[in-house]
Amino acid sequence: MPFEALLDELARRRAKALAMGGAEKLEKRRAQGVLDARQRLDYLLDAGTFVESGLLATSFRPEMVEKSPADGKVAGFGAIDGRPVAVVSNDFTTLGASSSVVNGKKIRHVRTVATQSGMPLILLGESAGSRMPDRMGAPGRAILGQDAQEYLRDRRTPWVSALLGSCYGSSTWYACLSDFVVMRKGATMAVASSKVTALAIKQAVDPEELGGWKLHTAVTGLVDVAVDTDEEALDYVKRFLGYLPSYNGEAPPVVAVPAGSDDAIADILDVVPESRSAVYDMRAVIGRIVDRDSMFEMKPRFGKSIVTALTRVDGRTVGVIANNPMFKGGSIDVDACNKATSFLVLCDSYNIPIVFLVDQPGFLIGMEGEKRGAPGRIMNWMNALSLVSVPRVTITLRKNFGQAYLNMGGGRNSDEAAAWPSADFGFMDPATGVNVLHGLKREDDPERFDVLMKEIARDSAPWPLAGLYEAQAIIDPRETRAYLKSILQVHRRAPTGGIGQHRLQHWPTSY
Amino acid sequence: MPSLEVSSPITGTVWKIVTQVGDRVEEDQPLVILESMKMEIPVPAPEDGVVEAIRIAEGDAIAEGDVIAVLRTD
Repeated sequence: MPFEALLDELARRRAKALAMGGAEKLEKRRAQGVLDARQRLDYLLDAGTFVESGLLATSFRPEMVEKSPADGKVAGFGAIDGRPVAVVSNDFTTLGASSSVVNGKKIRHVRTVATQSGMPLILLGESAGSRMPDRMGAPGRAILGQDAQEYLRDRRTPWVSALLGSCYGSSTWYACLSDFVVMRKGATMAVASSKVTALAIKQAVDPEELGGWKLHTAVTGLVDVAVDTDEEALDYVKRFLGYLPSYNGEAPPVVAVPAGSDDAIADILDVVPESRSAVYDMRAVIGRIVDRDSMFEMKPRFGKSIVTALTRVDGRTVGVIANNPMFKGGSIDVDACNKATSFLVLCDSYNIPIVFLVDQPGFLIGMEGEKRGAPGRIMNWMNALSLVSVPRVTITLRKNFGQAYLNMGGGRNSDEAAAWPSADFGFMDPATGVNVLHGLKREDDPERFDVLMKEIARDSAPWPLAGLYEAQAIIDPRETRAYLKSILQVHRRAPTGGIGQHRLQHWPTSY
Repeated sequence: MPSLEVSSPITGTVWKIVTQVGDRVEEDQPLVILESMKMEIPVPAPEDGVVEAIRIAEGDAIAEGDVIAVLRTD
């Protein structure tokens, strides 16, 4: 056969690259229940769609060529639910998937094509950081930083990261640039490994404490969701992308509305207590308003007094920003501010209309917040909100106090404002208002206190706001879903096809 | 299993203690309910775990950051 020797050589080289770091290392992972880089791609991508880029790439160092199949990072293109994506899957069995000259070129290529062709970029993280000795000394510096766009995040296409093992170096950096991050419990993400960190600070470092899921989902907010297995993490990646357009020049996909989506709103009056002192879990309200089972919560363990969730209404993606009285009475702290701002950036960048559901007593005041720069975070949010160009609708359920009224879309900060009859607009709680305005405490003169409190409460009812056309509609809570369906249709922005101006696309990442 | 101190997110008064030492609790399940800003504000478990200690009593005035309970986490 012509070409026989050459084709044999191609087959040999391909087989060697596909064997990754070798049977022994792969078997060890299997025993731990962890997928390898190629199994992860098999699970993630539609069957038969993976087109690999750089299967035969290796280290450029002659002595390392045989030890660096695909140079430790499997890269290429494929499809998820029929929609094209670009992927990098780190192969930890090959030199710890450490960053090198050649695999850096692979990432760069895939990233560039993703942007040019309008595909999301998916990064399956598990990497040890810089490869040594490639990055050592002056020659190492001459390699590093040759691509000035390497860490540019301009949100022209969605980026998603899954942290599936020890993540240092590129896996960490790309996660912090991503729009959504899922982590497998047991994985870690940090600037440097616990070993390196322990050496630097001369004390023992627990990897979980340094960069485990609890830290990143609850304290730093750098990770959205933590799950138990690789498969669950990859399912999250697919689900997230289902809400987003492939690139910022198109509207998000429209899906069929699940049967029964209009039914759950029926008992909404039993979910939200009429008593202003009682609390409830706002997520139960969101679940009743949006399409059935469509709530996809971002950062659920972080800044819990605000809920940010991708949802669907009438089959179309809608971003919900809602106060949750269940946590801190719904008062908005620094973490909640950062969470809301990063969600505004996401929605504005990818043409996703925003709905505010408001029930908040104000910003959380106190020493802790001031030390963390609360006023700056509040203005950051306002600045972002002022730049948003996607449709915004705000619905006030109960309390809507203070300056936070504006952050939650009050006044001209929304395209449309509605309120439930239970809405209460004031600068502060009426009881506190009597203290502040009249210098009167209830125990001093209960009768007069109650009269004054009623006066303040009357002024803060939704009716005057409707009279002044500051609320365009007062709705029965049971009409909320129907109202949203119609009003989002009204604000469909037909002349631009629902594509916004993306003035937040260059905003900083990882609040 | 590590211990985790649960501190008050807010200044207020302890209205009701709704768990006991030894109870197994899930993340977000209320441990105690405070009264603050004219509202009943639950202090939820930050993680799954077992209540190891409750450090406050009903009626106590507490400040932001005071330890309310200790959880033994999984």
